[in-house]
Amino acid sequence: MRGRLVLVIAILVIVVAAALLYIVLSPRESIPRRIVVYAYNDKISGIDPSIEDDTGLVILGSVYEPLLYYNPLKNEFKPALAVNWSSNEDGTEWVFHLRQGVKFHDGTPFNATAVKISVERARDIYRETGRGLGYIWDAVEEVQVLDEYTVKFKLSYPQRLDMIAAASYAAYIFSPSVLEKSSASSYMDEALEKWFNNGNDGGSGPYMIVSYRPDAEVRLKKFDEWWGWSIVNNPDAPDEIIIKILTEPQSQYNGLIAGEIDIASSVPRDNIGDLVNRGFKVFNLTTYHNYIMFFNTKRYPTNITEFRKAVLYMINLDEAMQLAMKGYALKGSGVIPHSFPGHIDNLVYDYNMEEALRYLNQSGVTTPVTIEILYQVDYEELKIFAEYLQSRLREIGVNLVLNPQPWSQLKDIAKGIWEHPETTPHIIIADWWPTIPSPYDYLYTMFHSESKEWNFAGYEDPEFDNLVDTAFEREGSNYTDAINLYREAQLKLYNEAIAVNLWDEVKPFIYSGKLEIPEEAMNPLYMYVVFFQYVKVKA
Amino acid sequence: MSINYVVKRVFWCILIVFGIIVFSYLILIFSPGDPAVKWAGNPRGPYASMAIEKAREELGLNDPLYLQIARFVYNVFNGNIGDSIAYKQPVLPLIYSRLQSTLELLVIAYVIAVPLGIFLGIYSALRRGSRSDSLIQAVGTILANMPTFWVATGLFLVFSMSGISLYGRINTRLALSTGFHPITGFYLLDSLIQGNLLVFIDVLLRLLPPALAVAVYPLGVLIRLTRTLMAEALLEDFVRVPVAWGVRRDIIIWRYALKASIPGVIQISGLSFAYSLIDAMVVEYTVFGREGLGNLLYDALNYSDFRLAIGLITVVAVFYLVVNTLTDIIQALVDPRVRL
Repeated sequence: MRGRLVLVIAILVIVVAAALLYIVLSPRESIPRRIVVYAYNDKISGIDPSIEDDTGLVILGSVYEPLLYYNPLKNEFKPALAVNWSSNEDGTEWVFHLRQGVKFHDGTPFNATAVKISVERARDIYRETGRGLGYIWDAVEEVQVLDEYTVKFKLSYPQRLDMIAAASYAAYIFSPSVLEKSSASSYMDEALEKWFNNGNDGGSGPYMIVSYRPDAEVRLKKFDEWWGWSIVNNPDAPDEIIIKILTEPQSQYNGLIAGEIDIASSVPRDNIGDLVNRGFKVFNLTTYHNYIMFFNTKRYPTNITEFRKAVLYMINLDEAMQLAMKGYALKGSGVIPHSFPGHIDNLVYDYNMEEALRYLNQSGVTTPVTIEILYQVDYEELKIFAEYLQSRLREIGVNLVLNPQPWSQLKDIAKGIWEHPETTPHIIIADWWPTIPSPYDYLYTMFHSESKEWNFAGYEDPEFDNLVDTAFEREGSNYTDAINLYREAQLKLYNEAIAVNLWDEVKPFIYSGKLEIPEEAMNPLYMYVVFFQYVKVKA
Repeated sequence: MSINYVVKRVFWCILIVFGIIVFSYLILIFSPGDPAVKWAGNPRGPYASMAIEKAREELGLNDPLYLQIARFVYNVFNGNIGDSIAYKQPVLPLIYSRLQSTLELLVIAYVIAVPLGIFLGIYSALRRGSRSDSLIQAVGTILANMPTFWVATGLFLVFSMSGISLYGRINTRLALSTGFHPITGFYLLDSLIQGNLLVFIDVLLRLLPPALAVAVYPLGVLIRLTRTLMAEALLEDFVRVPVAWGVRRDIIIWRYALKASIPGVIQISGLSFAYSLIDAMVVEYTVFGREGLGNLLYDALNYSDFRLAIGLITVVAVFYLVVNTLTDIIQALVDPRVRL
């Protein structure tokens, strides 16, 4: 018995020793030095460059490129795949001269044909299926390839095509070779969309996709042949990027502390001070991500303008913002965010209890009265705001019932305003960020009577519709006039108290001291995109 | 094991899975939230309604309910549930990649719970009536009744304070810098295959706290059960006779008493293994931020992704059925009194 035991132990020791020897002597592959882990707080909804309209932007922004970029903060265009562009006098024809010597990640050359195919696909998929945001190209009647590096757009009505070509969605150029690779029968074939969403890459950007798990992480690696490296002149740019999906802010905080994450896009705001004390840095990005509070204009008592104003006068936005966003926000004004085209300052209902009571009296609504607020359950800031509003409204005899819901259910309930407004909540809070740098994106989508999917106020006003439609048509021929018309439309919304922008989010990106993130690495028009080609990684 | 058993078992398994799919479909399809909106990609602009209507057609939501269910059941049994509405990726590979994480956790939990539970149960039974017996029984009772979530949170706090990072399955940067890549999807195994000791240790350290949390309940149950069964067996004639004959103590314990107790231990281990899957799903995501089945289900319900949700529910159901069946088979092999 003892002998057998000794034999068993000896065999175990030999096996373990052999295993350790194998482990120690195993060869290792060569290691890229500069790895950046970027924690993103939502799963990736897709990466089709023509159709994707949501969180996939965080990948698209590094893997694909548009013809140009636009920074609304500086009112500045930056050439990307196009080096210069011009239009005719009435804005119905635009010519883009393309950058030469650009390659896609698969080695195929970039040219005017790629632009034609990419734009037409985005436009036509929208026209045929309603999917994606290709409506931004609606004015494009024809895309002509004049030569290998020149493309002409003929429009059915004047449009600011430079703004559209710089959109954060539906404006990315992909390699025509994807057709063959995906075995799709045409660029409109669903097989191509599936191919993209399976993690395949047809881009020309500074980084290429290595692996794609939209629920967990996406890995990118440097595209050494990117045309822009010599211009950016950043030899310390990351070699590999891991975009890690961490939906819980606490996980991102823990990851930073443990040194496993280099950039966090969403940590608990209360912990930011602690992180700074530990040596982390903060990049506060003023975004165009805002939170719109809609009133149900088809249900009593929020169908009464005076009642809506009474509610608005009970909100001290500075106080609410501090509570909910801990100071990481700009007070909302109108419905368009700060520094975005069409923004108007001082379009705010400041807290004033006397005015609130006066309007309540004028509304004819007898108190106590009960109304309901619907908001997204996983936004802690909205929960805080709703509770704040509840306590405020109680002071004037208005009981507010809170109804937090996941996004999918919220959307379903909110658009029910068009079919059964009497059961749709009185107040709905939804967040928004833009596609194109135009007020049309906000005003049409959220308030036009045709836009029943997103018009959560149930607002129907032909005069408003006309203002927005005319403004959009005029953008190409008389931009200043168009902006003035958009402002008029906003004033209408303000005077009728249809909806208000609570705040524009100031997004704090927390990052480790081993990185340098310059201003060029972030642009509020491209939400959550970090332009890693500008990021410096210290060895 | 008779053919009759196999046929009956397979028949009942199919029927149960069928019932679960139908029931789940009915609940999910009538829940708030429109999957067509998500499938269409939250469309905007003048053609948004058209996009949603097309999405409803593609998802088959305009068909009569019985047809929807029949088609869905057929697809499930065909192994082709379709693409997830939330992720736009095939459902089954998505589930499988997460199942690996959860299973890995469950296996480690049971590697801890089963030997330790049996050992302590035997130890206690051999010293029945003593203080150590009372203590071990008390510990077993406490462990069996402790809420897993509470244990997980406590372990997380304790390990966090010691500076060990617990979030996620693996240190991604370490994996990348050492050239680790998944082969089987079970990171412990993969790191051993690749001879990557650093990653092995990293993965193991991250696995231990949630595994301990999940192990607590089966450990408590096994301690008590093994102790009871062993104590009863030790008083039986088939044990007392060899004792009288002077047979060695270790042979009496392992070959007589334990052998008689093992069938019960196997049965409980099997049942609790299946049950612990739910514990693992809850704990791995909510406390330890590990990607597993737990947060996949959460996302599926959040985004009205009925394909992914039913796929998950079906996989969990099949898991239960397979584990229970295997438990029966092992018991039949070990206990000659059991005939299948």
